[in-house]
Amino acid sequence: MNSFQERKQAALQKWAELQQSEAAVIYVGTASCGRAAGAQAVLEAIRETVREHDLKARIIEVGCIGPCYLEPLVDIRLPGRPRMSHANVTPERARYLVKAYLTGDKPPVRMAVGYHGDDDPGFTENKPPFFDLPMLKPQVRVVLRNCGFIDPEDIDHYLANEGYEGILRAFAMGPESVIAEVREAGLRGRGGAGFPTYKKWEICRSAPGSTKYLICNADEGDPGAFMNRSLLEGDPHAVLEGMLIAAYAIGAAHGYIYIRAEYPLAVARLHKALGQMRACGLLGRNILGSGFDFDITIKEGAGAFVCGEETALIASLEGNRGMPRSRPPFPAVAGLHQSPTIINNVETLGTLPAILRKGAAWYRQFGVPGNYGTKTFSLVGKIRRTGLIEVPLGTPLRKIIFDIGGGTLKKFKAVQTGGPSGGCLSEEFLDMPVDYESLGAAGSIMGSGGLIVMDEDTCVVDVAHYFLDFTQKESCGKCSPCRIGTRHMVEILERITSGRGEPEDLARLQNLGETVKRTSLCGLGQTAPNPVLTTLRYFRPEYLLHVADKYCPATVCRDLLEYRVIPEKCTGCRLCIRACPTGAITGLKGEVHYLDPAKCIKCRSCYEICRFDAIAGDGILIRSGRRIADEQRA
Amino acid sequence: MSNARETINITIDGRTFEARRGATILEAARANGIYIPTLCAHETLTPFGGCRMCIVEVDGMRGFPTSCTTPAEDGMVVRTETERLRAMQLEILQLILSEHTSSCLVCDEREECARYSPTIRKAGVTTGCRFCPKDGQCELQEVARRLGVKEIGYPVYYRNLRVEKEDPFYDRDYNLCILCGRCVRVCREVRGAGTLAFSLRGRRTIVGPAFGRSHLEAGCEFCGACVSVCPTGALYERASKWEGRPEREQESTCVLCGIGCRVRLQVKGGRVIGSLPADDPLVNDGQLCVKGRFCITELVGGHKRLLRPSRRRDGAPAEIDWDEAVSLAAERLACCDPANFALLVSADCSNEDLYTAQKFARAAVGTHHVDTASRLYYRAGFNAYLDLMKMRLPLAELRHAGAVLCIGLDARFDRSVVGVEIRKALRNGARMVTIHPRPHSLGMIADRWICPRPGEEARVLEALVRLTGSPGEAAGSAGAGLLPDGLAQQAAETARWLLEARAPVLLVGSEFLHYDGSAEILAAVARLARNTAARILPLPAQGNLVGSVLMGSYPELLPGGFPSTDGSGLERLRLLWGAPLSPPDPWWNASVPADGRKLEVLYVIGEVPPAMRQRADFVIFQNIYPPEPDTAADLILPSAAFTETDGTMVSGDGLIQRLHAAVPPPGKALPNWQILCRIAQKLGKSGFDYRSAADVYREIAQVVEGFGEWNALPHRLGPLSVPGRLAWESAAPAGARAASELPLTLSVSIQEHRYQGFPLSRWVEGAAEVFAEETVDMSPADAAAAGVAGGDRVIVAGGHFERTWRARIVPDQPEGVLHATVQPGGHINPNPVAVRMRKSDV
Repeated sequence: MNSFQERKQAALQKWAELQQSEAAVIYVGTASCGRAAGAQAVLEAIRETVREHDLKARIIEVGCIGPCYLEPLVDIRLPGRPRMSHANVTPERARYLVKAYLTGDKPPVRMAVGYHGDDDPGFTENKPPFFDLPMLKPQVRVVLRNCGFIDPEDIDHYLANEGYEGILRAFAMGPESVIAEVREAGLRGRGGAGFPTYKKWEICRSAPGSTKYLICNADEGDPGAFMNRSLLEGDPHAVLEGMLIAAYAIGAAHGYIYIRAEYPLAVARLHKALGQMRACGLLGRNILGSGFDFDITIKEGAGAFVCGEETALIASLEGNRGMPRSRPPFPAVAGLHQSPTIINNVETLGTLPAILRKGAAWYRQFGVPGNYGTKTFSLVGKIRRTGLIEVPLGTPLRKIIFDIGGGTLKKFKAVQTGGPSGGCLSEEFLDMPVDYESLGAAGSIMGSGGLIVMDEDTCVVDVAHYFLDFTQKESCGKCSPCRIGTRHMVEILERITSGRGEPEDLARLQNLGETVKRTSLCGLGQTAPNPVLTTLRYFRPEYLLHVADKYCPATVCRDLLEYRVIPEKCTGCRLCIRACPTGAITGLKGEVHYLDPAKCIKCRSCYEICRFDAIAGDGILIRSGRRIADEQRA
Repeated sequence: MSNARETINITIDGRTFEARRGATILEAARANGIYIPTLCAHETLTPFGGCRMCIVEVDGMRGFPTSCTTPAEDGMVVRTETERLRAMQLEILQLILSEHTSSCLVCDEREECARYSPTIRKAGVTTGCRFCPKDGQCELQEVARRLGVKEIGYPVYYRNLRVEKEDPFYDRDYNLCILCGRCVRVCREVRGAGTLAFSLRGRRTIVGPAFGRSHLEAGCEFCGACVSVCPTGALYERASKWEGRPEREQESTCVLCGIGCRVRLQVKGGRVIGSLPADDPLVNDGQLCVKGRFCITELVGGHKRLLRPSRRRDGAPAEIDWDEAVSLAAERLACCDPANFALLVSADCSNEDLYTAQKFARAAVGTHHVDTASRLYYRAGFNAYLDLMKMRLPLAELRHAGAVLCIGLDARFDRSVVGVEIRKALRNGARMVTIHPRPHSLGMIADRWICPRPGEEARVLEALVRLTGSPGEAAGSAGAGLLPDGLAQQAAETARWLLEARAPVLLVGSEFLHYDGSAEILAAVARLARNTAARILPLPAQGNLVGSVLMGSYPELLPGGFPSTDGSGLERLRLLWGAPLSPPDPWWNASVPADGRKLEVLYVIGEVPPAMRQRADFVIFQNIYPPEPDTAADLILPSAAFTETDGTMVSGDGLIQRLHAAVPPPGKALPNWQILCRIAQKLGKSGFDYRSAADVYREIAQVVEGFGEWNALPHRLGPLSVPGRLAWESAAPAGARAASELPLTLSVSIQEHRYQGFPLSRWVEGAAEVFAEETVDMSPADAAAAGVAGGDRVIVAGGHFERTWRARIVPDQPEGVLHATVQPGGHINPNPVAVRMRKSDV
């Protein structure tokens, strides 16, 4: 215990030194999302610049702070000045920034998007606080509090920020009280179904048997979801401390992290973090003198979506094919190696340290009755400000999409919650609070927190087809409704989107969807029809247009489209002729072009280039369905 | 004991029943005659919950739980036949049928089509039930009939998979597979083999060995358990593919090795059309090996079976009737000097055949010249092998062993039933060590695989004996210097496990039983067993080896195993048989070479000795198939196979079991004992007037201790006691050449998948593939050094022989060691010998 306290003191000192550093500190967001935006090149550029000019600077790689649309983010703090955030930094810009900040007389604060800090410390040149940016202002950061601020590969940074205080408090109160605290906090599983966390724990704790397991489910497989990845990359110790707390509460001596192999950075950071925990006596025998033994093993999954399902995950962990099995028995009673097992989602675990540190009452201030606390979402799609966000449960969709996300580029059409297992909600749900019950009533689910926003350029039939095709391919093949039912549904949707739909197809889809939903073995099959059933419910007219009129209003379904040149608007600039891969467009410069429908493969290239070129304008028209015939008749 | 704790009450469809605690809803319903449609559930397998046909409604439970996976609870109220359920079941069944070619199920003309000649005018052969071997036995058909499917409202997906026919014994048409997972589960849960698995995802999900290997490559044991549980025509036994539903089944005993598995012989039209395992907890517990499951049908049903007696006339066999055949035999025997008569009988025959045969030789002809070919198989180790049987353990107790040591045992094809039992023991926490010089099926599941060089086996066992000996006996010197370090360490570990475990068991296979030093090896096994208080399970290759010893089918042994030199024993038999018995004249036994002293008459029953013609002036050949060439015998007598005759067998673990005639013998064939009796009666001898096998058995019971009532079988014998000893003279070892000339070691095994002298592969298609005949195994390195690729012909030459085989490259084969399987009594020295190898030019 003493040595841990000493370590903590040392960490606090180290952190304080960093805050008062005599050298400039450069923070670069190099989580996967930042890297995808080019952060590594930026980091290299910064390092080179520092080296070249022999500058005094500390470079710290941090996790993702959330706003993807601003990536790569580089923050620079000069001694005695605030930390200034710079967005969309390119390597060239990074070189300039470093040089200007560290060698120039006047730091280019004007280029920053905001500063970090509570009140204006001066030198901010009227830039807003970063967290006052419209995307961040409505957010509440409980789980993500450290992401983007600490070096995720340095346990001292975590320790200095109240790290591992939750587990200390847990040790002080005993396992039963930990469960009671979590019950009091009203925490519900963040993996999707929202089952009360304490209840699962109680079942497991009271299940007979001395061997119990805790599994952290980090098999985040939804297309467009990255909450767990960001948390693991930005603040791995928060999740690991959560695992300690959960394991202590249920009496598990061994824990596993089941993580996708597609998350190499998160895996590497977890491995590093586990090593640091061992060095600090936070893993192994008699942790911090509490008498509690616990160790953690990382298991990399092979990328099967179904392995996010608890029983399939356990099967995979046991070395078997990731196939779910029927319940009962529930894993909390007979899970891994037939022992009582708790599987908690990354975010659930990441929330625990805060609850234990600050208490249930503090946690309950967020959210609404029955749905306490915060939830992270990955906000993606046709939206202005994409990114990872954290908001209190009960926040209306409108606030998330329009205030945080900045709204859609074109007219808002729908939002898909819960990834491929969720539902597609229409405009009328914008004022619905985001909580487990409301989403369920609307035919959707919370899921792990993917929010895909669509505007009027999105065809909901195509979206339903996309998601169902995904689940169909990811079906493990064990149960017939899921394996065969989804396949038939995909084929019906294919028919509809290709103009071969029959009027009866809608009833077939509905019927089949309900059968699959009711009779499938696991959550994958039981939720797979949701995108279809919700779109059928809220966007039926659009389906009817596809079936009856062979018309796709969003001009997405390729087989229902026809491209033509509008003679009145065509300037004869030949841009589209150059863009066309099949030579379907012909014409001389300055003359109206001709598009041969027989050669057109509907790739949309001409449309895009015409629309985005200021000189040419909207010379290409996409039309669909009956309207073509009407026009021809006219 | 209170009933309340064992049973619960459950209400299904308004009726309340008692059900076993721990049963699923499906089991409770079935036990009370309530039908719930299901496709993936199987009584011997764990619940799967895949087909979703068995959904029910349960009060207080959300949704529609599957009855096969949901445990029945006290007071549960279940409904199985609501409208909602029926609608959903129909929907699911239609989905399943849309993935399974089944147009005949919903065809308007299915009745007519079944009755009259089927036509492919309306349905292609790939899409109709009428063209499926499972037609009429298919569980999917049955469920469809029960639920009354009238149409399939979905387009049919034909997976267009190639029908897999490359592996022996069964075809796989996964276009018919409904992915119920029974085969995968039976392979893993029941057999413990895990050869089959699901692979791929979604619509491409399929069953098969992982990584696209063939079944042979993937370690499949060809036990056929998967074929037996398949509800559709996806897996089908080739030999019985178009036979349809059997008329009846007859339980009997398999004689293709000494385990004595109980089989259910399927009979149709007076023929055996299939063999399935019987659920006999005493022996095989519902399992069979490839021989019992797939070889019996073809073996006893071949079209070349002998149907009528024939004699050699003008150099060619000519069919005759029984009277003529019996007269001819009697004539020759009547004028034959008893000292120049010999009778060679197979240890695959029933006790009744063996007993009658030795009585025939001793009482009717007047000589002790009766022997089995097993002598050539066990050679110098025969007596020691019989000694091991004193410590034998019933197979059914193997699963309770705390440690298992397998000595020269491969349980992949022969004896795979033992492999299943070993895996049960492992699941119960046993340690397992296998001593085997080559890659074999147990190497993968053993805690340790001790892999001695061929010829080094005896030293491993000797080391184990010393390591387990009492401290005073061999203290300090235990195992020292006997073995190289690696092996010594493994041996020490093994010794510790054997000493520490409860109920250790030694399993003795047949890998090095034929060495000249086998007597020492087996004696070491016996000492090891004594040191560790272990029981022994000898696994003879012959169906009735124990019976042959107890029946006295050897020149040195009388019935009961007494030495034939024993005067009182002879006297007792003389009184019983009412015939004078001479003392033994021991010049002849089965090991006398063909070019040795010539016999006047050689009577061969169920054996096919090489160079038969050279051995005697007159050869009587009695078997189920003709000799090769068919002119090798003067008189050919057709006998009944084991599926066609009543009788008894004694398994290696001492269980006397019944053989039941499932079908009559083909043509004019007769049981061996009946033929012998006819000839003896023709010779005017008394005591050969048995009316049935039971009659013979009753006489046996008078002579041999431990044989009880005919009607009280099966019956387990006490510890085997054989007072007599068999003689064996080892041939002088051939002169050795310099090691540099012969850099490789060749070890051979004796082919043991035989029935009545014929290798199974002679009559069973596919057996040759499984048993890898006429091949020589070598390591990839040795093959590369000799420039040999798999399948090439290679010439292997030793000091005294040269043979050509096809090369088979075996990844785990130790370097420098070649291995081949040879026929018993062949010309190759059965000891490991130094050889060289080259690629054949031809």
